[in-house]
Amino acid sequence: MSYLNNPAIVMDNGTGLTKLGFAGNDSPSWIFPTAIATAQPSTTKKASTGLGGSQSTSTGGNAFFGNSTSATSFNDLAASSLLSNNLAGKRGTEDLDFYIGNEALAASQGPSYSLSYPIRHGQVENWDHMERFWENSIFKYLRTEPEDHFFLMTEPPLNPPENREQVAEIFFESFNCAGLYIAVQAVLALAASWTSPKVTDRSLTGTVIDSGDGVTHVIPVAEGYVIGSAIKNIPIAGRDITLFIQSMLRERGEADTSLRTAERIKQEYCYVCKDIVQEFNKFDRDPQKFAQFIVENNEKTSRKVVDVGYERFLAPEIFFNMEIATSDFLTPLPTVVDQTIQACPIDVRKGLYNNIVLSGGSTMFKDFGRRLQRDLKSIVNSRIAQSELLSGTKSTGVDVEVISHRRQRNAVWFGGSLLAQTPEFKSYCHTKKDYEEYGPSIVRNFSLFNMV
Amino acid sequence: MLHLRPHNLLVQKTLSEALEANTNGTPLTLDRIVSDFDYTTLHISNAPENKGVLWLSIRTKAWQSISQCGSGLVEFILTKYSGLGGVSAARTEPGYDFTLQVDLSALQPDAIVQLSLLKVIIMSFPFQLAFDKVAQLMQLPEGSNSTDEVHKIQYRDDENIFIKPSNDRITVIFETFFQDETDKVFGKVFLQEFVDARKRNRSIQSAPQVLFSHEAPLEISRVVNQGRSERSKRFITFVLFPRHFQTPELQFSSVCHLALFRNYFHYHIKCSKAFMHTRMRYRVDSFIKVLNRAKVDEEDDAQGDASRRTISGRKMVY
Amino acid sequence: MSQSLRPYLTAVRFSLQAALTLSNFSSQVVERHNRPEVEVEHTSAELLFAPMHISRNEHEQVLIEPSVNSVRVSIKVKQADEIEQILVHKFTRFLEQRAEAFYVLRRVPVQGFSISFLITNRHTETMSGAKLVDFIIEFMEEVDKEISEMKLFLNARARFVAEAYLGEFVY
Repeated sequence: MSYLNNPAIVMDNGTGLTKLGFAGNDSPSWIFPTAIATAQPSTTKKASTGLGGSQSTSTGGNAFFGNSTSATSFNDLAASSLLSNNLAGKRGTEDLDFYIGNEALAASQGPSYSLSYPIRHGQVENWDHMERFWENSIFKYLRTEPEDHFFLMTEPPLNPPENREQVAEIFFESFNCAGLYIAVQAVLALAASWTSPKVTDRSLTGTVIDSGDGVTHVIPVAEGYVIGSAIKNIPIAGRDITLFIQSMLRERGEADTSLRTAERIKQEYCYVCKDIVQEFNKFDRDPQKFAQFIVENNEKTSRKVVDVGYERFLAPEIFFNMEIATSDFLTPLPTVVDQTIQACPIDVRKGLYNNIVLSGGSTMFKDFGRRLQRDLKSIVNSRIAQSELLSGTKSTGVDVEVISHRRQRNAVWFGGSLLAQTPEFKSYCHTKKDYEEYGPSIVRNFSLFNMV
Repeated sequence: MLHLRPHNLLVQKTLSEALEANTNGTPLTLDRIVSDFDYTTLHISNAPENKGVLWLSIRTKAWQSISQCGSGLVEFILTKYSGLGGVSAARTEPGYDFTLQVDLSALQPDAIVQLSLLKVIIMSFPFQLAFDKVAQLMQLPEGSNSTDEVHKIQYRDDENIFIKPSNDRITVIFETFFQDETDKVFGKVFLQEFVDARKRNRSIQSAPQVLFSHEAPLEISRVVNQGRSERSKRFITFVLFPRHFQTPELQFSSVCHLALFRNYFHYHIKCSKAFMHTRMRYRVDSFIKVLNRAKVDEEDDAQGDASRRTISGRKMVY
Repeated sequence: MSQSLRPYLTAVRFSLQAALTLSNFSSQVVERHNRPEVEVEHTSAELLFAPMHISRNEHEQVLIEPSVNSVRVSIKVKQADEIEQILVHKFTRFLEQRAEAFYVLRRVPVQGFSISFLITNRHTETMSGAKLVDFIIEFMEEVDKEISEMKLFLNARARFVAEAYLGEFVY
């Protein structure tokens, strides 16, 4: 049983990005888009699949099922392989011809590959693509024999148990992995916050604000269990902020207004201010505040200078004053957090208020946590004041604590790495043997980590 | 992806990043575990006193058996890195088998690929011994040019590679074992094709001959321990002829492929299973379509329903 | 379609058609319960009809167990060798895993068979009986085809992989 020495593998497949790595490391080994570029059927020499061709553009990758009697095409393969040693051009091996991650983005520029994202809204949509995505992640990028390693996968809150079973089916039947643990992302994000010096007790109770590229979730977790009924989503996240910066750059007519530039500005210059009006005044008084961002092209031959102005503090302000950017959703983030916690059972609310954990790239703005804490505190305090007034009794008060920490960007992955490196981890996993005995339904239940 | 690459992509990426950061004057703080096939773990970390110096440590299952194959393993590895600036031996990190010290300020970008091949280089040591032995035996006169030297690499718990040099060939025997029943059956199909491929396809006639047996071939029957799970053991023999190891380049490429043989065909067994899942998902969908055709359309079977609607078109529910 | 397959499938089709005369039938044992009598142990004899066993050869058989309100159809899929055995096992398990979507699929096959269906009067009321029979017949045809295709694929892939590997040694 020498697999006991092998590090466990932590895989966090998100809608936009996949983080892969080994338990015990402080950051993921690979971060790349959850994208897969599959071979277009048109590249195969014979154009017999007229039906298949039109089908695969929509479903992507079912080219070999173009007609119901695909036996013929496999016979072709057998025949052609006898004739030539030209390996790349053979039929029936389309399922090996694909790229994932950044290579997929590059390959899809060409005519022979089509790009698709197998995960939508956090949940796997296309299992065929996902299975191949994992196959390549494991063998090409992580270089591991899955038989020798334990795996920790993540799933979004409210993931149907059927999806877990599908994951188990793939990992145990296709890959024969040694053991599997599926954890909810929000719980891992809570675990990641244990690295912060502000956290004193390592409990799994808290509110997780997970803001990625596409959507922001507010997820209450009590004792390691997600309170599903109270989860709230905000349709504003990283991409909206980038687009907002881009539109501001365009309005001013800057030299470079590409999405990439806007994203770099977001990452390098943006911060959250205390008060917009004051901040506007500060900028007007002190031109030093305006930054300049220099865009260089790849060969470093040309330089464009882009001025960075009010968007430095205006863009992250969207979370607190949504009307700046959109009219679809107008409840500010602190209010949403408050509503979420108020929707939870009353006995856990205190715990949820004093452990609000940030996770995901869009929570990385400077002072984001501090502002959230201040706004939330004022909401809570006014409510307490109101109830004290009405009841005439003195409240014991509620502590509001928002926790920022250094691992925020990949908090989910890091939490997974933290849990998977503990010696107990393997006893929480379901092993291949368990799977064979009980079947896929075994993964519907995982015991929780109770770490002290 | 058809072939597995011999070099470790992650080591390559990490070292490239470290090199780039170092040349930019902001050396990375690294403490990373990287894994490779067959119980191999690499550890990349900063030297304690200087961030510009990295330690690359490796721990691999095969180390113990390889170091028993002959003396001079460490020297052999170091000769592979001798031409590259900035790479030197270091005191072996506790818990690992071997440590290289990489001085980023003197490191050439080309050397990174060589560093990412560390595991293959270790694996190639017994092969190198065998290549040398063959060359030596070929010089000797007929009759006295045989040897019973067999190198054994124990690269997994129950699986070994045996390398036997003789005067005109090298016999490489893989002892494999399948944990999973499905894999065992699929593996049999795959291994049989390895045996047949060379006979059938003219263009690969010059590839090594492949043999497959359930019992240990005679060459190694002496060294195989007739131990546990004997029945599920399989033996795959590759016979390398001098044309496969004439030059150092050919030697290296042969070793790269042989070292990855087990991973390669296990990878493809898994790919086929994944492909079958794809087919089965498609079948499930098509069966469900057929079954759904059987469903009686509620709208047109019950004529009476139309009369039982409210004015807004809603159905009456009883 | 091979010569002996057609009469086999025809026999199954007619037997199934004959068996699919189901009616709503309340349990005689438990009040206000209504359960598929063929699945209930120790059910009274008059509720179970004579089972029909159609056999093409020892590897391909169909067992139809009719009762007053339900029919259980069990199919033994051809398994000529070890590979087909594994493939059939994998395939049927994959289907059973998704039994929810199939309405009439039983999660566990009857002892000695590869896969079982359970059709109740509830099914025949919401689905057309003839089409259900069509489905079973098509299923039997397709499964055989799928298994042999998968086997062909496995061999083709193995050959391709082996040649690709050995091709690397050609200098």
